[in-house]
Amino acid sequence: MDLESIIEDYLNGKLTEGELAAFEQMRANDPNVDQKVVAHKAFLDSLKDYATVVDLKAKMNLAHDQLDVDGLSRKLGPHPSFIINVWRKNRAAIGVAASFILLTLVMLYSIQQNTQQIGSVELVKRDLAILKNSNNNLIRKINSAPVTKNLKPANFGGTGFALTTNGYILTNLHVVDGADSVYVQDNQGNQYKVKVDRRDTQYDLAILKIVDESFKLPALPYRLKQNGVGIGEDVYTLGFPKDDAVYAKGYVSSKTGYSGSDSTQYQVSIDVNPGNSGGPLLDQNGNIVGVITAKLNLVDGATFAVKSRYIQEILNMIPNDSLGSTVKYNKKNSLQGLTKTRQAEKMQDFIFMVKVYK
Amino acid sequence: MSNKLSNSVPTDREVVLGILNNSDDALNKLYIGYFPMVLQFILNNNGDEDDAKDVYQEGIIVLYNKIKSGDFELSSKLKTYIYSVCRRIWLKKLAQQSKKTNNISDFEDIIATDVDVEDHEQKEEQFGKMQDALHHLGEPCRTIIQDFYLNNLSMQDISEKFGYTNTDNAKTQKYKCMQRLKKLFFQS
Repeated sequence: MDLESIIEDYLNGKLTEGELAAFEQMRANDPNVDQKVVAHKAFLDSLKDYATVVDLKAKMNLAHDQLDVDGLSRKLGPHPSFIINVWRKNRAAIGVAASFILLTLVMLYSIQQNTQQIGSVELVKRDLAILKNSNNNLIRKINSAPVTKNLKPANFGGTGFALTTNGYILTNLHVVDGADSVYVQDNQGNQYKVKVDRRDTQYDLAILKIVDESFKLPALPYRLKQNGVGIGEDVYTLGFPKDDAVYAKGYVSSKTGYSGSDSTQYQVSIDVNPGNSGGPLLDQNGNIVGVITAKLNLVDGATFAVKSRYIQEILNMIPNDSLGSTVKYNKKNSLQGLTKTRQAEKMQDFIFMVKVYK
Repeated sequence: MSNKLSNSVPTDREVVLGILNNSDDALNKLYIGYFPMVLQFILNNNGDEDDAKDVYQEGIIVLYNKIKSGDFELSSKLKTYIYSVCRRIWLKKLAQQSKKTNNISDFEDIIATDVDVEDHEQKEEQFGKMQDALHHLGEPCRTIIQDFYLNNLSMQDISEKFGYTNTDNAKTQKYKCMQRLKKLFFQS
């Protein structure tokens, strides 16, 4: 009892000088006392926090009573009409659906019109939703020779890049589809086991999650670009067509994907090789504008990349809580203003080689 | 959404200085100034007026603690900060109720406030524990503790209020109450 009240007086600075010196001596000599002081202080602090919040809530409730909440709700709330609400909430989805129908109609009426791109013959069979293998997906066949049972022969390789600092990695669905197990390898050669967390067949995207919970990256240097990029914009990519990261640059040649019928993709004039699939496509300022997905097999430099806005869509499907700190849509990023060499150097730590065992 | 929020809002400096000086008036103006913004956000994202009140008050507490802790820099507009904090809190609540959190209708810019909101969640937990502990403490202990630690009454006042013969008796009672409260708090 005595000790407790002395501690309280001590914490409130109410001890006389002599008492203070004596008490501090006692505290230094007896760890038990010291521990009691610390514990009591922590408890008093939470009691004080409690008091502050209670006080604050009381004041805020007073302020709240002055507001005409009903009036404000009528003014600011959602429109009573169901149809208008549905339209407002699903504007984007309805837009996509409408343009899809429109495109289908246009395609039906333009059967006789020749597409100008060579290589289209092989792609006619293409399933609209998924880019099939005829589209020469950029999966790299690491062991093209007859399979010899090595210790760790990865069958297929692709590229992925970090979406969050806690181990979410984006790549193409076709890279990891049908895989028995998937590993990623970073720039230093460290391998991590990943699981395929999300699949999006519509845009051919997949999100991988590094299984090791302790995995942590530094802050991501790049941002997702929300607005589209224009034709002629210089872009570059980093990928793993071989065991080291390879840099390639090019430009956006069209705002639509194959034959102009796929508005979810860009056509990019860039030289990529099998293994580049899933690599990020970045603009001059280090914003991610797309994900390298496929290329035409008869035409050099006609590569397709899924637009970055669809990355956000698939990101939205993951509960916010598990994401940690994510890539943000933003105008500024730490790559801005750096030379390409420096940008590529900084990027390397966030690009992963995806190793797939089938 | 073109509904402009026409209420007069205090300047950011006024709010920060007002809160640092414990001005009730500044808090009042702040509260009234930005509530419509948060109400609009919650109403248009699967919430009602009560949700808006809860989320907004939590948001203001986050801001209040941030300003009081002294490491608050006006790197963004206060409005953006409040909106972002409330948005984050609401999205978490929606996720907890396993309602969908995509297709969020936004009305303002957003900045990252994850750290502040996480800090707040820990404090919220402590707050809940203390509330429970006080609730289970029973009378007259609860009132004694509240009078002494929350309302800052002196031991003299308390012994008069409860009819103790002297302050020492009141102190002994307070000590016993405090021990019980601690026990309840750390048990939960």
